[in-house]
Amino acid sequence: MNRSVLFIGIVIAAALVVILFVGLGKDPAVIRSPLIDKPAPSFALREVGTNNTIDIAQYRGKPLIINFWATWCGPCWEEHPVLVANARMLQPNVQFLGVVFQDKEDKILGFLQQRGTSYPTVVDDKGKTAIAYGVGGVPETYFLDANGVIRAKYAGPMSADIIQANLQKVLKQ
Amino acid sequence: MILLVLLLSLKVPDAEQFVGQPKGTSLAGEQLFHRTHEVASLLRCPVCQGMAVADSPSEMAINMKEQVRELLARGYTEEQILKYFELSYGQFVLLKPKFEGVNSMVWLLPLIALVIGGVIVFFKIKNLERGAAGSQPAKPPLDTDPYVARVRDLVSGGKP
Repeated sequence: MNRSVLFIGIVIAAALVVILFVGLGKDPAVIRSPLIDKPAPSFALREVGTNNTIDIAQYRGKPLIINFWATWCGPCWEEHPVLVANARMLQPNVQFLGVVFQDKEDKILGFLQQRGTSYPTVVDDKGKTAIAYGVGGVPETYFLDANGVIRAKYAGPMSADIIQANLQKVLKQ
Repeated sequence: MILLVLLLSLKVPDAEQFVGQPKGTSLAGEQLFHRTHEVASLLRCPVCQGMAVADSPSEMAINMKEQVRELLARGYTEEQILKYFELSYGQFVLLKPKFEGVNSMVWLLPLIALVIGGVIVFFKIKNLERGAAGSQPAKPPLDTDPYVARVRDLVSGGKP
């Protein structure tokens, strides 16, 4: 009987070790969104500081990188120069688009004037677009292919390597 | 005029794109208030630590609750609303996970543990009973027990 108890204990402990090993081995920033490989929710939002409307449908035909951010978010400050530099390098073959939510227009404008930008930024007033994309925090970035299908999602500040790696996923399709 | 044109050109993702036309009846007033709280209680706030959308003061949760209210007012059912959020956030957003896939373990593991525990206890008790019946020598009757006889002897002052 004691051997049976020992055996069951070993099986349970082994199962827990496997679960922990698999769980801890994952990169928490790489999120398997249910929207991956699905058409991106369509939206047309106002460009910050202007009365222009930007519809993501106008970017069909080339990969689109949608970055959700806010001025109150520290990692967004960290990634901003990376995004600006990569957009300068990759546009017009790849389009970058910033979506700001839970923020104030004057703060967004101040941020962009002070730190510069190389791609359009739109305002998601009630956060409906962020909710439709399943945004859980900022920054979060979605990589869409030329047909408007979401191919990758990344939670956390961008680096040039992360952008390249995710663009590879988009271009593979 | 410019503002009107701008407002008309704006488009945010709509639930209809994900879950189709409303299948319920439009709610309003007190009923809408209560149902909004009930449905928002079933959704996890994605930026909080295990809090429901209904209870969280975060702006994200307030926006989600507002969307629940709007969808109920348009006639969407609870099932459609939960599905809408699930399609964006996955099952993570549901505070009551569905009985499917890995999630079914939440219900099954306690039952499996109970059955295994029950079997262990059953065999342990049987083992003890068998041990008690087989290995221990039977106690002698009180009349013939030398210890009891000695006590009686002492109590009666050494007289038989």
